Amino acid sequence: MPEILVQYEAQIWQAIGETFIMVGVSILAAVLLGLPVGTLLYLCRKGNLLENRVAFSTLNLLVNIIRSFPFLLLVVFLIPFTRLIIGTAIGTAAATVPLAIIAIAHYSRLVEQTLLDVPKGVLEAAVSMGASVRSVIFKFLYVEARSGLVVGLTTSIISFISYSTIMGVVGGGGIGDFAIRFGYQQFKTELMMYMIVIMVIFVQIIQFTGMTVARMIDKR
Amino acid sequence: MIQLHHVNKRFEQFEAIKDVSLTIDKGEIYGIIGASGAGKSTLLRLINLLEVPDTGAVEVNGRDLTKLRGKRLRDARKSIGMIFQGFNLVANKTVYENIAVSLELSNYPRKERRGRVEECLRFVGLEDFMKKYPAQLSGGQKQRVAIARALANKPEFLLCDEPTSSLDPNSTAEVLKVLEDVNKRLGVTIVIVSHEMDVIKSLCTQVTVMANGEVYETVRTKPKGVKHIDNNPKYFVDQLAKDGEVDRA
Repeated sequence: MPEILVQYEAQIWQAIGETFIMVGVSILAAVLLGLPVGTLLYLCRKGNLLENRVAFSTLNLLVNIIRSFPFLLLVVFLIPFTRLIIGTAIGTAAATVPLAIIAIAHYSRLVEQTLLDVPKGVLEAAVSMGASVRSVIFKFLYVEARSGLVVGLTTSIISFISYSTIMGVVGGGGIGDFAIRFGYQQFKTELMMYMIVIMVIFVQIIQFTGMTVARMIDKR
Repeated sequence: MIQLHHVNKRFEQFEAIKDVSLTIDKGEIYGIIGASGAGKSTLLRLINLLEVPDTGAVEVNGRDLTKLRGKRLRDARKSIGMIFQGFNLVANKTVYENIAVSLELSNYPRKERRGRVEECLRFVGLEDFMKKYPAQLSGGQKQRVAIARALANKPEFLLCDEPTSSLDPNSTAEVLKVLEDVNKRLGVTIVIVSHEMDVIKSLCTQVTVMANGEVYETVRTKPKGVKHIDNNPKYFVDQLAKDGEVDRA
Protein backbone atom coordinates (compact mmCIF):
# COMPACT_ATOMS: atom_id res chain seq x y z
CA MET A 1 0.00 0.00 0.00
CA PRO A 2 1.35 3.51 -0.82
CA GLU A 3 3.10 5.08 2.15
CA ILE A 4 0.81 8.08 2.27
CA LEU A 5 -2.27 5.87 2.68
CA VAL A 6 -0.58 3.99 5.51
CA GLN A 7 0.28 7.27 7.17
CA TYR A 8 -3.34 8.50 7.08
CA GLU A 9 -5.02 5.12 7.45
CA ALA A 10 -6.92 5.93 10.62
CA GLN A 11 -8.30 9.20 9.25
CA ILE A 12 -9.23 7.59 5.95
CA TRP A 13 -11.21 4.85 7.68
CA GLN A 14 -12.93 7.43 9.79
CA ALA A 15 -13.80 9.49 6.69
CA ILE A 16 -15.17 6.41 4.95
CA GLY A 17 -17.25 5.64 8.05
CA GLU A 18 -18.67 9.18 8.05
CA THR A 19 -19.54 8.94 4.37
CA PHE A 20 -21.29 5.63 5.05
CA ILE A 21 -23.35 7.16 7.85
CA MET A 22 -24.34 10.19 5.77
CA VAL A 23 -25.19 8.18 2.66
CA GLY A 24 -26.85 5.45 4.73
CA VAL A 25 -29.20 7.91 6.41
CA SER A 26 -29.95 9.46 3.01
CA ILE A 27 -30.89 6.04 1.62
CA LEU A 28 -33.12 5.32 4.61
CA ALA A 29 -34.85 8.68 4.22
CA ALA A 30 -35.28 8.10 0.48
CA VAL A 31 -36.87 4.69 0.95
CA LEU A 32 -38.93 5.38 4.08
CA LEU A 33 -40.16 8.85 3.11
CA GLY A 34 -39.19 9.55 -0.50
CA LEU A 35 -41.01 6.47 -1.77
CA PRO A 36 -44.32 7.36 -0.07
CA VAL A 37 -44.03 11.02 -1.12
CA GLY A 38 -43.32 10.02 -4.73
CA THR A 39 -46.23 7.56 -4.63
CA LEU A 40 -48.54 10.29 -3.32
CA LEU A 41 -47.36 12.67 -6.04
CA TYR A 42 -48.29 10.01 -8.56
CA LEU A 43 -51.63 9.05 -7.00
CA CYS A 44 -52.80 12.65 -6.49
CA ARG A 45 -52.06 13.63 -10.07
CA LYS A 46 -55.02 14.39 -12.34
CA GLY A 47 -56.74 11.26 -13.58
CA ASN A 48 -55.12 8.99 -11.02
CA LEU A 49 -56.52 6.99 -8.13
CA LEU A 50 -56.44 9.66 -5.40
CA GLU A 51 -56.75 12.68 -7.69
CA ASN A 52 -56.42 15.71 -5.45
CA ARG A 53 -55.38 19.04 -6.86
CA VAL A 54 -54.49 20.70 -3.59
CA ALA A 55 -52.39 17.81 -2.30
CA PHE A 56 -50.65 17.41 -5.63
CA SER A 57 -49.82 21.10 -6.06
CA THR A 58 -48.57 21.41 -2.48
CA LEU A 59 -46.29 18.38 -2.66
CA ASN A 60 -45.14 19.28 -6.14
CA LEU A 61 -44.22 22.81 -5.10
CA LEU A 62 -42.45 21.62 -1.97
CA VAL A 63 -40.34 19.10 -3.86
CA ASN A 64 -39.52 21.70 -6.51
CA ILE A 65 -38.47 24.28 -3.95
CA ILE A 66 -36.16 21.87 -2.14
CA ARG A 67 -34.66 20.75 -5.40
CA SER A 68 -34.12 24.33 -6.64
CA PHE A 69 -31.84 25.24 -3.76
CA PRO A 70 -28.17 25.03 -4.58
CA PHE A 71 -27.36 22.28 -2.08
CA LEU A 72 -24.79 24.30 -0.17
CA LEU A 73 -27.40 27.00 0.46
CA LEU A 74 -29.96 24.40 1.55
CA VAL A 75 -27.50 23.17 4.17
CA VAL A 76 -27.03 26.69 5.52
CA PHE A 77 -30.72 27.51 5.28
CA LEU A 78 -31.62 24.41 7.30
CA ILE A 79 -29.20 25.14 10.16
CA PRO A 80 -31.93 26.35 12.57
CA PHE A 81 -34.07 23.31 11.74
CA THR A 82 -31.12 20.97 12.20
CA ARG A 83 -30.33 22.55 15.56
CA LEU A 84 -33.95 22.05 16.56
CA ILE A 85 -34.01 18.31 15.93
CA ILE A 86 -30.38 17.23 16.53
CA GLY A 87 -29.44 19.82 19.13
CA THR A 88 -26.44 21.04 17.17
CA ALA A 89 -25.78 22.12 13.61
CA ILE A 90 -22.23 20.76 13.53
CA GLY A 91 -20.97 17.21 13.01
CA THR A 92 -21.86 14.08 11.11
CA ALA A 93 -25.24 13.60 12.80
CA ALA A 94 -26.23 17.20 12.02
CA ALA A 95 -25.09 16.74 8.43
CA THR A 96 -27.59 13.93 7.92
CA VAL A 97 -30.54 16.33 8.27
CA PRO A 98 -30.12 18.34 5.05
CA LEU A 99 -28.95 15.18 3.32
CA ALA A 100 -32.12 13.35 4.34
CA ILE A 101 -34.27 16.22 3.12
CA ILE A 102 -32.65 16.46 -0.29
CA ALA A 103 -32.76 12.65 -0.47
CA ILE A 104 -36.54 12.62 0.02
CA ALA A 105 -37.07 15.32 -2.60
CA HIS A 106 -34.67 13.71 -5.05
CA TYR A 107 -35.96 10.14 -4.84
CA SER A 108 -39.64 11.09 -4.66
CA ARG A 109 -39.33 12.73 -8.07
CA LEU A 110 -37.73 9.63 -9.55
CA VAL A 111 -40.41 7.44 -7.95
CA GLU A 112 -43.14 9.61 -9.44
CA GLN A 113 -41.59 9.38 -12.91
CA THR A 114 -41.17 5.63 -12.67
CA LEU A 115 -44.76 5.09 -11.55
CA LEU A 116 -46.04 7.24 -14.42
CA ASP A 117 -44.59 4.62 -16.76
CA VAL A 118 -46.70 1.80 -15.33
CA PRO A 119 -49.40 0.98 -17.89
CA LYS A 120 -52.71 2.43 -16.68
CA GLY A 121 -54.53 -0.68 -17.84
CA VAL A 122 -52.87 -2.82 -15.18
CA LEU A 123 -54.24 -0.56 -12.46
CA GLU A 124 -57.62 -0.56 -14.12
CA ALA A 125 -57.63 -4.34 -14.05
CA ALA A 126 -56.75 -4.15 -10.35
CA VAL A 127 -59.66 -1.82 -9.64
CA SER A 128 -62.01 -4.02 -11.66
CA MET A 129 -60.97 -6.93 -9.41
CA GLY A 130 -62.08 -4.93 -6.40
CA ALA A 131 -58.61 -3.96 -5.16
CA SER A 132 -58.37 -1.22 -2.52
CA VAL A 133 -55.95 1.66 -3.05
CA ARG A 134 -53.51 -0.04 -0.70
CA SER A 135 -53.69 -3.30 -2.66
CA VAL A 136 -53.33 -1.46 -5.95
CA ILE A 137 -50.12 0.12 -4.66
CA PHE A 138 -48.48 -2.93 -3.14
CA LYS A 139 -49.79 -5.77 -5.28
CA PHE A 140 -49.76 -4.03 -8.67
CA LEU A 141 -48.07 -0.62 -8.86
CA TYR A 142 -44.83 -1.44 -7.03
CA VAL A 143 -44.63 -4.92 -8.54
CA GLU A 144 -44.81 -3.51 -12.05
CA ALA A 145 -42.47 -0.58 -11.30
CA ARG A 146 -39.95 -2.44 -9.18
CA SER A 147 -36.97 -2.42 -11.55
CA GLY A 148 -37.46 1.28 -12.29
CA LEU A 149 -37.63 1.98 -8.57
CA VAL A 150 -34.30 0.19 -8.09
CA VAL A 151 -32.67 2.03 -10.99
CA GLY A 152 -33.96 5.32 -9.56
CA LEU A 153 -32.61 4.49 -6.12
CA THR A 154 -29.23 3.65 -7.65
CA THR A 155 -29.09 7.02 -9.39
CA SER A 156 -30.17 8.70 -6.17
CA ILE A 157 -27.54 6.97 -4.03
CA ILE A 158 -24.82 8.19 -6.36
CA SER A 159 -26.16 11.73 -6.06
CA PHE A 160 -26.23 11.30 -2.26
CA ILE A 161 -22.52 10.43 -2.29
CA SER A 162 -21.89 13.57 -4.27
CA TYR A 163 -23.99 15.70 -1.88
CA SER A 164 -22.21 14.17 1.11
CA THR A 165 -18.81 15.38 -0.11
CA ILE A 166 -19.60 18.99 0.70
CA MET A 167 -20.79 18.34 4.25
CA GLY A 168 -17.39 19.45 5.48
CA VAL A 169 -18.90 22.94 5.67
CA VAL A 170 -20.84 21.89 8.76
CA GLY A 171 -18.18 19.55 10.09
CA GLY A 172 -19.87 16.48 8.66
CA GLY A 173 -16.58 14.95 7.59
CA GLY A 174 -16.54 12.17 5.03
CA ILE A 175 -14.23 11.27 2.18
CA GLY A 176 -14.85 14.45 0.21
CA ASP A 177 -14.05 16.61 3.18
CA PHE A 178 -10.91 14.60 3.90
CA ALA A 179 -9.77 14.94 0.29
CA ILE A 180 -10.22 18.71 0.41
CA ARG A 181 -8.64 19.31 3.79
CA PHE A 182 -5.71 16.93 3.57
CA GLY A 183 -5.29 16.47 -0.14
CA TYR A 184 -6.05 19.90 -1.53
CA GLN A 185 -5.42 22.35 1.25
CA GLN A 186 -2.22 20.64 2.40
CA PHE A 187 -1.01 20.21 -1.18
CA LYS A 188 -0.95 16.39 -0.95
CA THR A 189 -2.29 15.94 -4.48
CA GLU A 190 -1.47 12.24 -4.40
CA LEU A 191 -3.70 11.75 -1.37
CA MET A 192 -6.52 13.63 -3.09
CA MET A 193 -6.21 11.42 -6.14
CA TYR A 194 -6.45 8.29 -3.99
CA MET A 195 -9.64 9.62 -2.42
CA ILE A 196 -11.10 10.22 -5.86
CA VAL A 197 -10.21 6.66 -6.79
CA ILE A 198 -12.03 5.38 -3.69
CA MET A 199 -15.14 7.36 -4.69
CA VAL A 200 -14.97 6.06 -8.25
CA ILE A 201 -14.81 2.49 -6.92
CA PHE A 202 -17.82 3.08 -4.66
CA VAL A 203 -19.86 4.54 -7.49
CA GLN A 204 -18.93 1.67 -9.81
CA ILE A 205 -19.95 -0.92 -7.23
CA ILE A 206 -23.27 0.79 -6.54
CA GLN A 207 -24.07 1.30 -10.21
CA PHE A 208 -23.20 -2.29 -11.07
CA THR A 209 -25.15 -3.76 -8.16
CA GLY A 210 -28.17 -1.57 -8.85
CA MET A 211 -28.33 -2.39 -12.54
CA THR A 212 -27.81 -6.11 -11.91
CA VAL A 213 -30.61 -6.26 -9.37
CA ALA A 214 -32.90 -4.22 -11.64
CA ARG A 215 -32.26 -6.58 -14.53
CA MET A 216 -32.86 -9.67 -12.40
CA ILE A 217 -36.25 -8.52 -11.15
CA ASP A 218 -37.47 -7.23 -14.50
CA LYS A 219 -39.68 -9.82 -16.20
CA ARG A 220 -41.44 -7.47 -18.58
CA MET B 1 -79.30 -9.38 -14.29
CA ILE B 2 -77.73 -6.07 -15.25
CA GLN B 3 -79.91 -3.03 -15.81
CA LEU B 4 -78.87 0.43 -16.83
CA HIS B 5 -81.49 3.12 -16.22
CA HIS B 6 -81.17 6.41 -18.11
CA VAL B 7 -77.42 6.53 -17.74
CA ASN B 8 -75.48 9.62 -18.81
CA LYS B 9 -71.75 10.20 -18.92
CA ARG B 10 -69.89 13.23 -20.14
CA PHE B 11 -66.15 13.84 -20.47
CA GLU B 12 -65.72 17.58 -20.21
CA GLN B 13 -67.56 18.88 -23.31
CA PHE B 14 -68.08 15.47 -24.88
CA GLU B 15 -71.29 13.57 -24.18
CA ALA B 16 -70.06 9.98 -24.29
CA ILE B 17 -73.28 8.29 -23.17
CA LYS B 18 -76.70 9.88 -23.61
CA ASP B 19 -79.64 8.52 -21.68
CA VAL B 20 -78.94 4.82 -22.22
CA SER B 21 -81.16 2.16 -20.70
CA LEU B 22 -80.74 -1.53 -21.27
CA THR B 23 -81.31 -4.90 -19.65
CA ILE B 24 -78.94 -7.83 -19.80
CA ASP B 25 -80.53 -11.08 -18.68
CA LYS B 26 -78.84 -13.80 -16.77
CA GLY B 27 -77.06 -16.40 -18.89
CA GLU B 28 -76.90 -14.27 -22.01
CA ILE B 29 -73.96 -13.37 -24.19
CA TYR B 30 -74.75 -9.76 -24.84
CA GLY B 31 -72.99 -7.86 -27.58
CA ILE B 32 -72.40 -4.14 -27.87
CA ILE B 33 -71.22 -3.02 -31.28
CA GLY B 34 -70.67 0.32 -32.94
CA ALA B 35 -68.12 2.56 -34.63
CA SER B 36 -65.15 4.02 -32.81
CA GLY B 37 -66.27 6.72 -30.44
CA ALA B 38 -69.84 5.43 -30.34
CA GLY B 39 -69.54 5.00 -26.59
CA LYS B 40 -69.52 1.22 -26.39
CA SER B 41 -66.43 0.87 -24.20
CA THR B 42 -67.60 3.62 -21.90
CA LEU B 43 -70.94 1.89 -21.60
CA LEU B 44 -69.23 -1.35 -20.58
CA ARG B 45 -67.04 0.44 -18.05
CA LEU B 46 -70.13 1.97 -16.48
CA ILE B 47 -71.36 -1.49 -15.56
CA ASN B 48 -68.63 -2.06 -12.94
CA LEU B 49 -68.30 1.65 -12.25
CA LEU B 50 -64.81 1.99 -13.72
CA GLU B 51 -66.55 5.06 -15.08
CA VAL B 52 -69.03 6.64 -12.72
CA PRO B 53 -72.19 7.80 -14.50
CA ASP B 54 -73.15 11.46 -14.07
CA THR B 55 -76.79 10.50 -13.75
CA GLY B 56 -78.79 7.28 -13.91
CA ALA B 57 -78.61 3.98 -12.10
CA VAL B 58 -76.52 0.87 -12.67
CA GLU B 59 -78.32 -2.10 -11.18
CA VAL B 60 -76.57 -5.44 -10.86
CA ASN B 61 -78.84 -8.12 -9.44
CA GLY B 62 -81.22 -5.45 -8.25
CA ARG B 63 -78.58 -3.47 -6.37
CA ASP B 64 -77.73 0.05 -7.54
CA LEU B 65 -73.93 0.17 -7.69
CA THR B 66 -73.87 3.96 -7.94
CA LYS B 67 -75.10 4.07 -4.34
CA LEU B 68 -72.20 1.93 -3.06
CA ARG B 69 -68.92 3.33 -1.75
CA GLY B 70 -65.60 1.95 -0.55
CA LYS B 71 -65.54 -1.66 0.52
CA ARG B 72 -69.10 -2.43 -0.56
CA LEU B 73 -68.38 -1.25 -4.09
CA ARG B 74 -65.14 -3.25 -4.15
CA ASP B 75 -67.00 -6.35 -3.01
CA ALA B 76 -69.62 -5.85 -5.71
CA ARG B 77 -66.86 -5.60 -8.31
CA LYS B 78 -65.52 -8.99 -7.27
CA SER B 79 -68.63 -10.65 -8.69
CA ILE B 80 -68.07 -8.93 -12.04
CA GLY B 81 -64.99 -10.15 -13.91
CA MET B 82 -63.47 -8.04 -16.65
CA ILE B 83 -61.04 -8.56 -19.52
CA PHE B 84 -59.47 -5.95 -21.75
CA GLN B 85 -58.14 -5.46 -25.26
CA GLY B 86 -54.61 -4.99 -23.87
CA PHE B 87 -54.94 -7.98 -21.48
CA ASN B 88 -53.59 -5.88 -18.58
CA LEU B 89 -51.70 -8.68 -16.90
CA VAL B 90 -49.00 -7.76 -14.40
CA ALA B 91 -45.84 -8.33 -16.44
CA ASN B 92 -43.69 -8.92 -13.37
CA LYS B 93 -45.94 -11.66 -12.01
CA THR B 94 -46.03 -15.22 -13.29
CA VAL B 95 -49.22 -16.62 -14.76
CA TYR B 96 -49.86 -18.28 -11.40
CA GLU B 97 -49.33 -15.05 -9.45
CA ASN B 98 -51.49 -13.05 -11.82
CA ILE B 99 -54.44 -15.28 -11.05
CA ALA B 100 -53.64 -15.79 -7.37
CA VAL B 101 -53.66 -12.04 -6.73
CA SER B 102 -57.34 -11.92 -7.54
CA LEU B 103 -57.93 -14.62 -4.91
CA GLU B 104 -55.80 -12.73 -2.38
CA LEU B 105 -57.93 -9.64 -2.91
CA SER B 106 -61.08 -11.52 -2.02
CA ASN B 107 -59.50 -13.35 0.93
CA TYR B 108 -59.99 -16.71 -0.69
CA PRO B 109 -58.83 -19.36 1.84
CA ARG B 110 -55.05 -19.52 1.54
CA LYS B 111 -54.84 -23.30 1.36
CA GLU B 112 -57.34 -23.56 -1.48
CA ARG B 113 -55.76 -20.90 -3.67
CA ARG B 114 -53.35 -23.14 -5.51
CA GLY B 115 -56.08 -25.60 -6.39
CA ARG B 116 -58.37 -22.84 -7.59
CA VAL B 117 -55.67 -21.29 -9.80
CA GLU B 118 -54.95 -24.69 -11.33
CA GLU B 119 -58.62 -25.26 -11.93
CA CYS B 120 -58.99 -21.91 -13.71
CA LEU B 121 -55.91 -22.52 -15.84
CA ARG B 122 -57.15 -25.96 -16.80
CA PHE B 123 -60.40 -24.37 -17.90
CA VAL B 124 -58.60 -22.08 -20.34
CA GLY B 125 -56.20 -24.87 -21.35
CA LEU B 126 -53.03 -23.34 -19.94
CA GLU B 127 -52.26 -25.56 -16.95
CA ASP B 128 -48.66 -26.01 -18.08
CA PHE B 129 -47.97 -22.27 -18.18
CA MET B 130 -48.15 -21.52 -14.46
CA LYS B 131 -44.54 -20.49 -14.04
CA LYS B 132 -44.27 -18.46 -17.22
CA TYR B 133 -44.31 -14.67 -17.37
CA PRO B 134 -46.74 -12.83 -19.67
CA ALA B 135 -43.87 -11.77 -21.95
CA GLN B 136 -43.35 -15.45 -22.79
CA LEU B 137 -46.95 -15.93 -24.01
CA SER B 138 -48.72 -15.23 -27.30
CA GLY B 139 -51.56 -12.71 -27.41
CA GLY B 140 -54.21 -15.40 -27.33
CA GLN B 141 -52.56 -17.09 -24.36
CA LYS B 142 -52.35 -13.79 -22.49
CA GLN B 143 -56.05 -13.20 -23.03
CA ARG B 144 -56.81 -16.71 -21.78
CA VAL B 145 -54.80 -16.02 -18.64
CA ALA B 146 -56.78 -12.80 -18.23
CA ILE B 147 -59.99 -14.84 -18.55
CA ALA B 148 -58.72 -17.30 -15.94
CA ARG B 149 -57.92 -14.36 -13.66
CA ALA B 150 -61.38 -12.89 -14.16
CA LEU B 151 -62.99 -16.27 -13.42
CA ALA B 152 -60.99 -17.03 -10.29
CA ASN B 153 -63.53 -15.44 -7.96
CA LYS B 154 -66.43 -17.28 -9.59
CA PRO B 155 -68.08 -14.13 -10.92
CA GLU B 156 -71.63 -14.10 -12.22
CA PHE B 157 -70.75 -11.66 -14.98
CA LEU B 158 -67.83 -11.24 -17.33
CA LEU B 159 -67.28 -7.92 -19.09
CA CYS B 160 -65.14 -8.11 -22.23
CA ASP B 161 -63.76 -4.88 -23.68
CA GLU B 162 -62.64 -5.59 -27.26
CA PRO B 163 -61.28 -8.97 -26.12
CA THR B 164 -60.00 -10.06 -29.52
CA SER B 165 -59.26 -6.77 -31.24
CA SER B 166 -55.50 -7.08 -30.93
CA LEU B 167 -55.37 -10.77 -31.84
CA ASP B 168 -54.80 -12.65 -35.09
CA PRO B 169 -57.61 -14.86 -36.48
CA ASN B 170 -56.35 -18.03 -34.79
CA SER B 171 -56.01 -16.46 -31.39
CA THR B 172 -59.37 -14.79 -31.84
CA ALA B 173 -61.02 -18.15 -32.43
CA GLU B 174 -59.16 -19.61 -29.46
CA VAL B 175 -60.36 -16.85 -27.12
CA LEU B 176 -63.94 -16.91 -28.44
CA LYS B 177 -64.10 -20.67 -27.86
CA VAL B 178 -63.09 -20.12 -24.26
CA LEU B 179 -65.68 -17.38 -23.82
CA GLU B 180 -68.35 -19.65 -25.27
CA ASP B 181 -67.30 -22.30 -22.73
CA VAL B 182 -67.39 -19.81 -19.89
CA ASN B 183 -70.99 -19.06 -20.75
CA LYS B 184 -72.16 -22.62 -21.48
CA ARG B 185 -70.32 -24.59 -18.82
CA LEU B 186 -70.09 -22.07 -16.02
CA GLY B 187 -73.29 -20.17 -16.73
CA VAL B 188 -71.53 -16.82 -16.58
CA THR B 189 -73.38 -13.92 -18.18
CA ILE B 190 -71.08 -12.26 -20.71
CA VAL B 191 -71.10 -8.75 -22.11
CA ILE B 192 -68.84 -8.25 -25.13
CA VAL B 193 -67.92 -4.92 -26.63
CA SER B 194 -66.42 -5.22 -30.08
CA HIS B 195 -66.24 -3.45 -33.39
CA GLU B 196 -65.77 -6.78 -35.16
CA MET B 197 -69.03 -8.05 -36.60
CA ASP B 198 -67.78 -11.66 -36.81
CA VAL B 199 -67.02 -11.76 -33.13
CA ILE B 200 -70.45 -10.46 -32.18
CA LYS B 201 -72.25 -12.74 -34.64
CA SER B 202 -70.48 -15.87 -33.52
CA LEU B 203 -71.42 -15.63 -29.84
CA CYS B 204 -74.14 -13.16 -29.03
CA THR B 205 -77.78 -13.84 -28.23
CA GLN B 206 -78.68 -10.19 -28.04
CA VAL B 207 -76.88 -7.20 -29.52
CA THR B 208 -77.13 -3.47 -28.94
CA VAL B 209 -75.90 -1.21 -31.70
CA MET B 210 -74.51 2.05 -30.38
CA ALA B 211 -74.20 5.31 -32.30
CA ASN B 212 -73.12 8.71 -30.96
CA GLY B 213 -73.48 7.63 -27.36
CA GLU B 214 -77.03 6.39 -27.82
CA VAL B 215 -78.66 3.01 -28.31
CA TYR B 216 -79.44 2.84 -32.02
CA GLU B 217 -81.20 -0.49 -31.83
CA THR B 218 -81.17 -3.73 -29.89
CA VAL B 219 -81.73 -6.99 -31.75
CA ARG B 220 -82.03 -10.64 -30.83
CA THR B 221 -79.62 -12.83 -32.76
CA LYS B 222 -78.85 -16.49 -33.10
CA PRO B 223 -75.21 -17.18 -32.32
CA LYS B 224 -73.44 -18.68 -35.32
CA GLY B 225 -70.78 -20.44 -33.29
CA VAL B 226 -67.06 -19.90 -33.38
CA LYS B 227 -65.59 -20.45 -36.82
CA HIS B 228 -62.97 -23.10 -36.99
CA ILE B 229 -59.83 -21.46 -38.21
CA ASP B 230 -57.03 -23.30 -39.86
CA ASN B 231 -53.54 -22.60 -38.86
CA ASN B 232 -52.08 -22.84 -42.32
CA PRO B 233 -51.26 -20.08 -44.80
CA LYS B 234 -53.81 -21.51 -47.24
CA TYR B 235 -56.54 -20.17 -44.98
CA PHE B 236 -55.32 -16.63 -45.54
CA VAL B 237 -55.11 -17.13 -49.30
CA ASP B 238 -58.64 -18.58 -49.37
CA GLN B 239 -59.97 -15.68 -47.36
CA LEU B 240 -58.30 -13.28 -49.75
CA ALA B 241 -59.65 -15.09 -52.79
CA LYS B 242 -63.19 -15.31 -51.41
CA ASP B 243 -64.29 -11.72 -51.99
CA GLY B 244 -62.49 -10.90 -55.17
CA GLU B 245 -59.89 -11.85 -57.63
CA VAL B 246 -56.42 -12.54 -56.43
CA ASP B 247 -53.72 -11.88 -58.92
CA ARG B 248 -51.24 -14.61 -58.13
CA ALA B 249 -47.84 -13.16 -58.67
